[in-house]
Amino acid sequence: MQPVTLYRALLRCYPAAFRDEYGEQMLLAFSDQLNDAPGGARRAAVWTGAARDALAVAPREHWHVFLQDLRYALRTMKARPGFTTVAILSLALGIGANTALFSLWNGVLHATLPGVQRPEELVMLTDPGEAGMWRGRWDGRADGARDWVTYEEFQELRDRAGIFASVMASQSSISTWPARINVDGGGEAPEDVRGRLVSGAYFQVLGANPVAGRVFTADSDRADTTEAVVSHSFWQRRFGGRPDVIGRTLTIRNATLSIVGVMPAGFVGETSGQLPDLWVPLRLQPRVLPGNNYLHDAPPDKAMWLHLFGRLKPGVSFAEAEARANGVLQANLIAFYGAAATGERRAEFLDQRLQITEASRGASYKRAELSGSLTALMVGVGILLLIACANLANLLLARGAARRAELTLRLSLGAGRGRLMRQLVTESLVLAAAGGVAAAAVAAAMHRGLVVMLAEADPAFALSFSFDAPIAVFLVGCTFTAALLFGLLPAWQATATDASSALKEQGRGAIGTRMRGRSGRVLVGVQLALSLPLLVGAGLLARTAYNVQRIDLGVNVDNLLLARVDLRATIDDPARRDAMRQALLERIRQAPGVRSATFSQLGLFSASFSTRNIQVEGYTSQAGRDPETNVDAIGSDYFATLGMRLIQGRDIQDSDTLAAPKVCVVNESFANRYFARRNPIGLRLMVIDSDEQRTPLLVVGVARDARTRSPRGAVEPRIFVSSQQQVPGVASPTFLVRAQSDAPIAAAVRQAIMEVDANAPLMSIRTARERLALLTAQDRAIARLALAFGGVALTLAAIGLYGVLSYGVARRTSEIAVRIALGARPSRVIAMIVRETAGVVAVGVLAGGALAFAASRFIAGSLFGVEPRDPATFTVAAAVLLVVAGVAAYLPARRASKLEPVAALRSE
Amino acid sequence: MVKDASPESFLPLPTAVFHILIALADRDRHGYSIMQDVAARTDGTVQLSAGTLYSSVRRMLEQGLIEELSKSPDRSSTDERRRYYRLTRFGRRVAAAEVARLNHLVRQARATGLVPEG
Repeated sequence: MQPVTLYRALLRCYPAAFRDEYGEQMLLAFSDQLNDAPGGARRAAVWTGAARDALAVAPREHWHVFLQDLRYALRTMKARPGFTTVAILSLALGIGANTALFSLWNGVLHATLPGVQRPEELVMLTDPGEAGMWRGRWDGRADGARDWVTYEEFQELRDRAGIFASVMASQSSISTWPARINVDGGGEAPEDVRGRLVSGAYFQVLGANPVAGRVFTADSDRADTTEAVVSHSFWQRRFGGRPDVIGRTLTIRNATLSIVGVMPAGFVGETSGQLPDLWVPLRLQPRVLPGNNYLHDAPPDKAMWLHLFGRLKPGVSFAEAEARANGVLQANLIAFYGAAATGERRAEFLDQRLQITEASRGASYKRAELSGSLTALMVGVGILLLIACANLANLLLARGAARRAELTLRLSLGAGRGRLMRQLVTESLVLAAAGGVAAAAVAAAMHRGLVVMLAEADPAFALSFSFDAPIAVFLVGCTFTAALLFGLLPAWQATATDASSALKEQGRGAIGTRMRGRSGRVLVGVQLALSLPLLVGAGLLARTAYNVQRIDLGVNVDNLLLARVDLRATIDDPARRDAMRQALLERIRQAPGVRSATFSQLGLFSASFSTRNIQVEGYTSQAGRDPETNVDAIGSDYFATLGMRLIQGRDIQDSDTLAAPKVCVVNESFANRYFARRNPIGLRLMVIDSDEQRTPLLVVGVARDARTRSPRGAVEPRIFVSSQQQVPGVASPTFLVRAQSDAPIAAAVRQAIMEVDANAPLMSIRTARERLALLTAQDRAIARLALAFGGVALTLAAIGLYGVLSYGVARRTSEIAVRIALGARPSRVIAMIVRETAGVVAVGVLAGGALAFAASRFIAGSLFGVEPRDPATFTVAAAVLLVVAGVAAYLPARRASKLEPVAALRSE
Repeated sequence: MVKDASPESFLPLPTAVFHILIALADRDRHGYSIMQDVAARTDGTVQLSAGTLYSSVRRMLEQGLIEELSKSPDRSSTDERRRYYRLTRFGRRVAAAEVARLNHLVRQARATGLVPEG
C-alpha cells in the first residue's frame, strides 16, 4: 500500500474539522519526512511517530472539540432557562423512576444477599422459594425435593454429612411476638417484634460481623443461651441507636433474652428483602413458641420448618454434596420410621430427598410473587421515559426550527454537517447528563417510596437503596440512551435544511418547516401509540384490584373481629385448655356490642390448612387410594356468625358434645365431588387419623362455598367438625366475633379475654376487613402505580399533541388570517386544524391498540376477574385517549379561529 | 485571539510549543521546515511528528502566538500548497518570558551549587 494512502487512513482518526484544516499539510510534512529519512530505522521512527499521533494526539483533538461543544451547549442552556429546566426536570423524573424500579427489580430478583461475605459460596439444601412449616405424617402425594428440614435432620447433616466447612439452620418464616422490653423502673406494655430462630453458626456462615457486641456461637446449640441479636433498624427505632443496648433484656413468652449484639445496617439475614427485628437461638424454640416442640419429632410425625444454609468444603462438588446429604437423610429416615414403615408405606416414607442449590441471593418466597409485577412496572416506566423523550425531541425540533437561520449560515460557510450534528448532540448529552445527576437523587427517593408501599402488605419487607455497580451502569446507560433518543432526530432535522431556500424564507410555511411538522406529528403518533398500552394495563390492574376487594367471599366480612389465642402457650393440660376455651367463648359472647361469637382452628384468611384422609360412603376413589380433604374444627354457631349460608341441614351446635354422635358439615364443593346427585344429609364419611384410627362422621349440613382461606384461588372441598367432639379440642382457636353494629368491639373483646385470664396469650386481634386489606394491599399498590403511569403518559402525550398543533397554527398564521378575512367561519377553521392531526391520532390509537393487544398476555398472570384482552377496558382506554387528544387539539384550534386577521397579518 | 492575556499566564510552555517558537524566531516557515529546524537544532533528540506539530499549531493560532501567512514568501511553485507561519509580537513576548523563567531556574541551580558555575 502506498504510504500516502495509509497516512490518509490514519488521518481519519482526527476530528473532521481538524482534518479539513490541516490534513493536507500533515500529509505533505509526513511525505517529506519519509522521503528525507536516511535509513530503514529512521523511516520506521517516522511511521511510529504517525501511529503515536493517531493514538495520542487525535483523541486530544477530539477532546478539544468536545470542550468547545460543551461550552457552547452550556451557553445555550443558560440562554433558555425555561426549556432547560423543563428538560432537566422531565429527564430527572423519567430516568430516576426507571432507575428506582430497576434497583427494586434487581434487589428483589437478582442481587446477592447484602452484608454477607462471598455470597457466591453459599448453598442451600432446602427450597429457597418456600417459607413456612409442614407438620405431620409424610405421604407420597408430595413430589419434588424437600422444602424444609427438621431440627434433628439438620443436626445429622451438620455432624455426619462431612460436606460442609460451615453450616447453619434458620427458621424459614418469621415469627411475630408480643415482647416486653425491659427498661429500668419496670416493664413497659408489650409490643410486637418480629424475629427468627437461628442456629449458633448462623452469623459465621453468612460471614456477617456485628457493629456492636457479639453474635451467637456454637455454644447456643449445645445449651440454652438466653440471648438475642438485634437488627440495625430495630436498634435505631426502639433504642435510639444508643450504645447501652447491649445487656438490655426483652421478654418473649417464657424467655427473657439479653441483647448481646447489633448487626450492621443493610444486613437482613438469609431471606432477601425480609428484615427481622431480632435473631433468637434455635434451641429456645419451646420457650418462645410454647406449647409445641419442633426440635424433637416423635415417629412417625415430623416437623419440617428449617432452611439449611452452608459453605461446602473445598473440593466438594455440588453432585457429591447432594449425594452425601441424601445418604445421611435416608439413613435418618430409615432409623426414624423404623418398624412403623412396612411394605408400600415404607417406600412412601423413604421417598424424600434434598436438592442442593446455590444460594447467593438467599431465600425469598416473594421472588416468584413479585417477579411478574415488577417486570411489568419496569416496562411501564420505560415506556414513560420513551414518551418523555418524544416530548423533548419535539421541543428540540421546535428549537431547531428557530435556529435554522444560524445553522444554515454556518453550513453555507463550510461547516460540515457532521460537525454541526456533533454539536447539537453534545447539547443533548449535556442536558441528559444534568438530568441523570438529578435522577440519582430522584431514584433514591422513589425507591424508598416503593419499598414503603410494598411494606404495607408485608411489614418485614426491607430493601435499601445502594448506588452500586449495576444501578450506576443502568443510570448512565439510561441517560445516554435518552440523550440519543431525543437528540439525534432533531439534530438530523436541524442540519438537513437546504441552505439556499432556507435562507430565503422568512417564517411563512415552507418546505423545511413542513418536514419539521411531519416529524412532530410522527412523534406525537408514537406517543399516543405508547400511551394506549399503559392505559389499558392500568385499567386492567385497577379492575383486578377492584375485583379482588369485592370477591364474593361467601362470608360476611363486615363488623367481624378475629382474635387468636394460643392456649398452648400457658396451659399444658388439654382438658384445661378446652375449659378455658369454652370460658373465653362464653365471656366474649356476653361482651357489650357483640351479637354472636364462635371460633375455629384455621381462622379466616390465614394461610394455614389441615388435611385428613377420608373414605366416603358410596364413593370409590379413582386413584386407588383414600382421597384427602381439608378439615376445620369449629365451635357452635360458626356458620351463623360468619354469615355463611347453609344450603341444607344445620349448623354445629352446643349439643354436639363428645357424648353425642360425631357429626360434620360439608361444603358445596365437597358435596359435589363426593356425593354427586345424592343427598348428603344422613350419609357417612370416615376420617382416617395419623394413627390409622377411623372415625365415622354423620353429615348434618351442607354449606355454601366460601373463600375462608384466601380471597383468590379456587375453593376446595372441606368438612367442618365440632371442636367439642375432637380430642384434644382446638388448642389455638381464632375467635370470630360478629358485632351488633359498626361500632368497634376490639377493646371490649380484649377486655373480655383479659377478665377470664389476664395472662391469656392473645396473638393477634384485628377485624376481618383489616386482614383482607393486608392480603389485597399489594394488588392495590400495583394498580395505583399503573394508574399513575397511565395518567402521566396521557398527560405527556396530550402536551405533545398540544405543542405540535400550536406550532402548526403558528406556522400557518398568515394563511388562517387570510381565510378568516375572506369570511371563513370559526367552526370551519377549527375543523381544518383538527383534521390535520386526525390522521395521526387515528393511526396512533390503532397502533397503540395493536401493541396493547399483543402485549396483554404478559400481564395475564397478575390479573383477577378480568381477561387480558377485555374489550370493555380497551374501549374505555381508547375513548379516554381520544377525548384527551380531542381537548388538546381543540384548544389551539379555537385560538386559531379567534385570530384577528388584520393584527395577525400585520405582525407577520 | 486572546490578546489581552499576559505572557506569564502561558508559562510553563509545553516543549513542542517552545521549539516551534524558536524555529519561527529567525524566519517564517512552513510545517516541514519547522520539523527539520527543530531536529537539526536538537541534534535529532526532538523529532516533531506531523500530528504533534499541527495540534500545537492549532492551539498557538488560537492563542495568538503565531499567525498564518496569506501567501507564501517563497515563490517556487512546489510550495504553493504549503501554509507558512510567522511569529507574532505577542508570541515573541511569550517566548521571551519562557526564556527568562528558564534562566531564572538555571541561576538558582547554579547559586545553590546543584550544578557548577559556567
